[in-house]
Amino acid sequence: MMRKRMIGLFLLPALVFYIGFVIAPAIQAIVLSFFDTSGFSDARRFVGLGNYAKLLGDEVFWKAGANTLLIMVIGGVAVFLLAFGYTMMINSGIRWRKLFRAAIFMPNIVAVVAITSFWSFLFMPRYGLLFSLLKHLQLDTLAGIAWTAPENVFWSMLLGLVWLSSGFFMILIMAGADKIPSDIYEAARLDGAGHVETFRHITLPMIWDVLAITYVLWLIQALKTMEFPYAFGGPNIDSNLYTTAIYLYVQGFGQRQPIYALGYATAIGVVMLVVTTVIVLACRRLMRRERLEY
Amino acid sequence: MSHLQQTPGQPGISSSKKARWTGNLSVAQAISYLLLAVSSLFTVFFFAWVVIASFKKNRDLFKFPWRLPDTWSIDNFVKVWTTNQFGVYFSNSIVVVCLSVILLLIVATPAAYVLSRSRFRGREGITNFFIVGMGIPVPLLFVPLFVTLSYIHLADTLTGLIVVYIALSIPFTVYVLTSFFSSLPHELEDAAILDGCRDWQVFWHVMLPLAMPGVATVALLNFVWLWNEYQLSLVLINSPENRTLSLGLYALINSMQYSGGDWASLFAGVTIVTVPTVILYLFLSERMIGGMTMGGVK
Repeated sequence: MMRKRMIGLFLLPALVFYIGFVIAPAIQAIVLSFFDTSGFSDARRFVGLGNYAKLLGDEVFWKAGANTLLIMVIGGVAVFLLAFGYTMMINSGIRWRKLFRAAIFMPNIVAVVAITSFWSFLFMPRYGLLFSLLKHLQLDTLAGIAWTAPENVFWSMLLGLVWLSSGFFMILIMAGADKIPSDIYEAARLDGAGHVETFRHITLPMIWDVLAITYVLWLIQALKTMEFPYAFGGPNIDSNLYTTAIYLYVQGFGQRQPIYALGYATAIGVVMLVVTTVIVLACRRLMRRERLEY
Repeated sequence: MSHLQQTPGQPGISSSKKARWTGNLSVAQAISYLLLAVSSLFTVFFFAWVVIASFKKNRDLFKFPWRLPDTWSIDNFVKVWTTNQFGVYFSNSIVVVCLSVILLLIVATPAAYVLSRSRFRGREGITNFFIVGMGIPVPLLFVPLFVTLSYIHLADTLTGLIVVYIALSIPFTVYVLTSFFSSLPHELEDAAILDGCRDWQVFWHVMLPLAMPGVATVALLNFVWLWNEYQLSLVLINSPENRTLSLGLYALINSMQYSGGDWASLFAGVTIVTVPTVILYLFLSERMIGGMTMGGVK
């Protein structure tokens, strides 16, 4: 039996760190979002829902929100098509299963800034890797596309983000696929089910749950996307690359010149928290209804 | 090279496996090989190209980005390591990440042990309280963490960064370790108690050694994440001498706009940032991938 004293002693340090530097700041954030402040308490002014009202009329915020939504939805579909495709291909009984899996996942263990450096050079106008490749192949029209021009830069970025994330979500989906009991496949095979039938009537329904859960994970993760587009954008980041998290950072700490609109920035964070909570609650609702037992 | 032992026709292979390799290399499988190979090769290309670029002269890099360098030179590495302070950033990163991971384990392991192995009122509540932290979007904490650390005079210090890293890693770490402790058998624990072990002795001498694989995996994952992290350090670190390696690389990209594009040096920097985690991955990829799923899908 464990004594009360030990339970307390073992829990205390973790609780102190966690409450002090995660929970308390989160509550502080909610409070701060009702103030107009630059961080110095004497200059703090209560504005109620003023920051939120301002957000509603802020075009850049909506632009950043729309970009984030594009990442969540279009990026999400691309990530899941790739990740699911990889899973099916790797599980189709081929050789070098672990090797393929390890290689496709590998970009995820590299610093995002390292990846964006390469990505910037890849799409660099007039000197970049892609440009010189297309030029060599005599594909001048393609080579003429300005990948980092304002209208294209978001999609060039998203391509990289999808590449990176598909490896990560492949791992999660594969873990779910591995849990499908193999005797079901055996039975289906004995009953004369072909590849396509097995896939449609066994794999897909079985893995549906896993796909739903991992998609929610994607949504939560994609909602706070900052590192990849921010580093890809460089010092004078194009507002076409803004996500809500980047806009939060820019409002709080600025680019060349600090802005220190700390209350306003935090209101953006609170909006993100609310959206995350809604996603999680909606997911739990959904899961409770369609729990598949096997 | 285990696949060599599975070549068709070799004795000792089960019949189903044999059929898999010989009988029907279907169209679907051929396409799978092709697409998987292309995807994998792109990863390999990324690493190879960056490393090769870091040995090039800028002139060659821009003129012939697809060629090997005429002369391999380590000038770029010397330059980023000294002039661009990557030596300092590297040791900052080592100190910050290693201390964060060690302290994190000291703090989180006992908590996870208690949450999975004892019965007391509020246990489930506290467990869920920790898990909630995984849902809090980190950008929400940018401003309050900056304000809090300024208030306790830890803003722009490595200590402050370590404290924040530990705190933000606690939810995932406690969650994964709790499920790991729960999966351990009860018998040894019961035997130790019958032998008269005190409660903390059971933890220290019996359960902790059993949990070591889980602890090691969590340590590894946190090391990689914190090594690569740059958004929190971007918010909390101001002085160039306190930059971590990822942040230093970001600062280098930023400065290039003004000092002209020394891309070759940038890629030397990229190589320096990348090498430590890649080495870990080459030896421990299975463990990392396995650990990733422990916290990812329940």
